[in-house]
Amino acid sequence: SIQLEMPPAPSAAAGSCALSLGSRFLFGCRVTAAHRFAASPVQPPSPLHQQPHLQPCRQGRRWLRPEFRGVYKPRLSPEAMKEFWRLSGIGPDHSRAKVADQQAEVPPEIKRLYQEALPPIVSQDYRDPIVESLHRAEMMRRRRVINIPEFHVGSILAVSVMDKHAPNKVNRFVGLCILRRHTGLFTTFTLRNMVDQVCVQIEYELYSPSIVSIQLLKLERRLDDNLLYLMDAPHSHCTIPFDMVPEPYSRNDPVPVNRERVRLNPPPWMCKWHLHGYQGIDLEHLYSYLSDKDVAKAIEFSKAYKRYDLLDQYLNRVPVPDADYAFKDIFIQHQELLQHQQQQQQSSKKSEVISKLTGTA
Amino acid sequence: MATAPHTWLRLVPSCRSYSKATRLHKIDYPWKDEPKPHWVRQFEARRVDADLTPENRDWLRQWRLQRVRDAVASSSEAAAAASPLKEPPAARPLWTPRVSQRCGLVGIKLGILPMWYRNGQKVHTTVVQIPDQRVLRWVPPEDLGNYASLREMRPYRLNQSFLPRWLTQQRWGLQLVGAVPADPANFTAQWCGIFKAAGLPPMRKISRFLVSPDASLQPGACLGLHHFRVGDCVDVVARTVNRGFQGVMERHLMEGGPAAHGSTKFHRKMGSAAGGGGPIYRGKRMPGVMGNRFRAARSLPVLRVNTKHRLLFIKGFTPGPPHSYCQIMDSWMLDVRRSLDANPPPMPTYFAEDAPEGGYPEDVYHPDLLPYDQPLELPD
Repeated sequence: SIQLEMPPAPSAAAGSCALSLGSRFLFGCRVTAAHRFAASPVQPPSPLHQQPHLQPCRQGRRWLRPEFRGVYKPRLSPEAMKEFWRLSGIGPDHSRAKVADQQAEVPPEIKRLYQEALPPIVSQDYRDPIVESLHRAEMMRRRRVINIPEFHVGSILAVSVMDKHAPNKVNRFVGLCILRRHTGLFTTFTLRNMVDQVCVQIEYELYSPSIVSIQLLKLERRLDDNLLYLMDAPHSHCTIPFDMVPEPYSRNDPVPVNRERVRLNPPPWMCKWHLHGYQGIDLEHLYSYLSDKDVAKAIEFSKAYKRYDLLDQYLNRVPVPDADYAFKDIFIQHQELLQHQQQQQQSSKKSEVISKLTGTA
Repeated sequence: MATAPHTWLRLVPSCRSYSKATRLHKIDYPWKDEPKPHWVRQFEARRVDADLTPENRDWLRQWRLQRVRDAVASSSEAAAAASPLKEPPAARPLWTPRVSQRCGLVGIKLGILPMWYRNGQKVHTTVVQIPDQRVLRWVPPEDLGNYASLREMRPYRLNQSFLPRWLTQQRWGLQLVGAVPADPANFTAQWCGIFKAAGLPPMRKISRFLVSPDASLQPGACLGLHHFRVGDCVDVVARTVNRGFQGVMERHLMEGGPAAHGSTKFHRKMGSAAGGGGPIYRGKRMPGVMGNRFRAARSLPVLRVNTKHRLLFIKGFTPGPPHSYCQIMDSWMLDVRRSLDANPPPMPTYFAEDAPEGGYPEDVYHPDLLPYDQPLELPD
């Protein structure tokens, strides 16, 4: 049996209205269920742990007591992380950057070779120096196994991948690099080519161990960061023969820029190419396909209001100190890599000489 | 048992006859407005002492941090092993199948690193750093009812039909673990007092783990990186990323309305909230804050251990943003528990005597994992 205790009648001075909703919600009633303890063999608990009252209320549990409203901090602030690393000594390793400070400036070839060593352009909440240093260290470890040449969007590459279903267990693809994205070990690049009059685009992960070799056939740069508009361009622009002979290049020379302007096919297009600020498209030819309204929109876009958008520049740029730190770290590891390659060459020469002398096959 | 919480805590009965109306009640309990002596505030604004020069203030901070470092070093395993007052090693408990549940570790999630298996398959690993942590307290299962934190009546407890089984069955006790020692000036005296009782420096994070009595640890015991081995499957419990106030399409994957075809102001809405003029029932899916809840990622193997930075590389993705705390413990999944019977982990935790000869290398890899400096060799 449930005992219902009606509260005393509200006073007029209090101004509280006796709302009798006449529904299931008995406003102001208190329901005690002390009867449940009568049958239990256990002693009723101390006053501190009395039976809770169930007070009917339409807006139940909306107000939490301060101790429940306290801010739970599941994250460590950057200052707390730095203090923790300083106290325990297991923080990021700054030794390589210090060594690089004592040497001459980082040469520009490092920035060309290791474009993916830059930290990702993401808010500070999602960046961690230890993870970034791990990415860089693993990248350099992979480069001891395979030679990754310098390439840019617009270069022509030949990539051999392990394929158990292929005749020689290796699958070779030649193509024009149209896209290069992400950073660190997540870096990917896309090659495009025509195979039997069919356009083929393959995206490779740069640090995947199933890549046997990456051969640079032609080092070149284009006017844009990506050449996705070639999907709506005549196929002649991305037809590369599979037996192309690699063209020699010198690391000291600046990367040649191919300033060709591509004439796109008539619309419909896969994307509104006129609204992305591409410099590698023949704009006069492009605008001839568009209405006046679209042309005005494109010209307004190209007026480059973004150069005045400081926040856009800040958010879409790697902070200069972080970039410098990353390249210093990579520079020292690059020198270690060169030493390792020299040692390997010497040891392979030694083993060749020994095998010749002893007459082993 | 007299102190068992489910004997004195009567919740809303789960009988079918009681109506929805009786569930829509405000929680009111007699001790609601009484001060709670066990509730402790953690952080305190630093007192700015105007009599100190900046140099002296910095010197005092360095002195405090050095005291913390010394306290951590003196309570570590290396100190215990090197101490001339070495006691004979206590008998270590044996792993008992279906009974033993070890303590877990507090970790800090750092980020994600991709790796590859030896068959060429890619795997994403979560990098978790294990900070300095020490055991604070052991609450045996018999004392769960008296434990202050559980006597605090939370609103959701009173509205639930039943209490959790670890509270009613009382097979496991609570192991309190403190992690990330820090400058005592950040904290209140009450918070520092919790650690003083165990002889430890104040720490930022206190976690509790459900541990069987045979695997219990006494205050001051050291928990380290090698508590988990490469190949062990773990559960990672953490608070998910707070996505803020989200609408019903993001939060509950509702379909919303059509974008066109004459749809008037009905594109991302919920639609109807109830039926037949009835009331909106408790638990109706509506817009609100999404995320920021404790969730567990179950049965994730540890693929790699780095001893230099004290990192665990756990397969897959764990809840929470970078630099958030997470609890890592032996998986509760039955197949993992059965596999641990054949290959028991260090009980109750890792001690220096469990180390292999020559110590651990900087990186310990799972045999299926391919290190980056090795070429891939696929079988024919």
